[in-house]
Amino acid sequence: MGMIIDVERLSRRFGQSTAVDELTLTAGAGEVVGLLGPNGAGKTTTIRMLATLLPPSSGTARVCGFDVVRAAGDVRLRIGYVMQQVSPMGYYMLTGREKTEIEAALYHVPRKRVKARAAEVLELVGLSAHADRLVQAYSGGMQKRLELACGLLHRPELLILDEPTLGLDVQSRHHVWDHIRQLCQEGMTVLLATNYMDEADRLCDRLTIIDHGREVVSGTPAELKAAIGADSLDEVFLRHTGHALREEAA
Amino acid sequence: MWAQEVLALSRRWLLMTLRERLNLLFSVLQPAVWLVFFAGSLGGAMDARVVGTTDYLAFAVPGIIAFTVVGNGVSAAMPLLFDKETGYLDKLMSMPIRRSSLIVSRFVFQMGMNSAQVLVILLVALVLGVRPATGLAGVLAILVTAALLTLAMTAAAMALACAVPSHGTFFAVTGFASLPLLFMSNAFVPLTAMPAWMQVVARANPLTYAIEAMRLLMLDGWSAGLPVAMGALVLASALLLVVGAWQFGRQTSERVA
Repeated sequence: MGMIIDVERLSRRFGQSTAVDELTLTAGAGEVVGLLGPNGAGKTTTIRMLATLLPPSSGTARVCGFDVVRAAGDVRLRIGYVMQQVSPMGYYMLTGREKTEIEAALYHVPRKRVKARAAEVLELVGLSAHADRLVQAYSGGMQKRLELACGLLHRPELLILDEPTLGLDVQSRHHVWDHIRQLCQEGMTVLLATNYMDEADRLCDRLTIIDHGREVVSGTPAELKAAIGADSLDEVFLRHTGHALREEAA
Repeated sequence: MWAQEVLALSRRWLLMTLRERLNLLFSVLQPAVWLVFFAGSLGGAMDARVVGTTDYLAFAVPGIIAFTVVGNGVSAAMPLLFDKETGYLDKLMSMPIRRSSLIVSRFVFQMGMNSAQVLVILLVALVLGVRPATGLAGVLAILVTAALLTLAMTAAAMALACAVPSHGTFFAVTGFASLPLLFMSNAFVPLTAMPAWMQVVARANPLTYAIEAMRLLMLDGWSAGLPVAMGALVLASALLLVVGAWQFGRQTSERVA
């Protein structure tokens, strides 16, 4: 089976600073791979390169076998990108259904299927009852679920989640986790960037911890914990990345 | 595919606009109010020998249309400005859409909106007794001219929106430039009434050609000056479109072509 994510010695420099440094990362079909690291470690930069938003400085990144630079269009057809910041400003005067239908059309869902597909994904994240309310009136958790729904419109092979539960209450987090698990059971591959170790522990098949743009350690959550005799991923994380606060700009 | 993208994005612009009813109402009414008060008060002070007609209202209609198009140019670029700042532009760029769809949908939408406003202006003018010398075909020609000017102004505003670091700078620049752009044109007085240096500036201003074309259509009929003015306008629009496309390309180049 071909790799869904195949990143090899990927680097991205911004002027003098190196945000991502010779990173290697893979994900097979149906895997949930976690990308962990302190703030400014290079998680979002890596994700932006995989989402075709930022060209790498060197190295290669392939998604579903397509190069993120040379075959960006093919990559875009196959990824669902759920961004870290939900920014409803651009569509807060739209209803959840309208936003979803518009994005369905932008993902080239056949015209006749747009309405049905939008209703399907809204149902999937439990927003059917609120579909005709303005996004403006949604809670933070509902907005995140709406983003998740929109990321699924074109049945992507890879779902890229950047901090999917940032700032959510406990109920909403569990809700989002349930959706992610359900998607995985259906064979979706997920790249999950998170600062929540409990989230990574619950959801991820494998993890890569990065710091200063470099891979520090990789393995299954159980392996990583067993290797240093730790009870929690928090311990693993701090052991590998230290206690010092990060001062790099994000 | 491309049509589906442009339609979907246009739907977004339309819904956003329709939801803000007060905003819409005032936007549509504003030019008519300008026409009534501005032309009404200034008209009395105008010398018919300088303006070239006793009907200052008819003279001012093209100026008011240009004024409206300039103002709308600023709001045309606002969604792009905010999409850029909120990060939604990134989300759009991660989708399998053509980069141009974003800009083209904005042009399509803005031309629709501006055409509606131009019709309102002409209707109010009609009520006030102004008849275009070229009749109904002239109204169509005025709409085409306004659409060309819309293209130019929207492209310029979008280029600026891409180039600035944040919306603060955008509004500072547009606030600074809008009125001089108008007064350095033949919007409210003919070029011949200006000092020589100002005429030179006004001759380099694309507004002047759009206004000239519309004014000929309003006052003179199908005159020989029309193709010249339209030609200059087409040239200016094409130039600004290139600048706009270049700036948009720069803005999105980090996001990979």
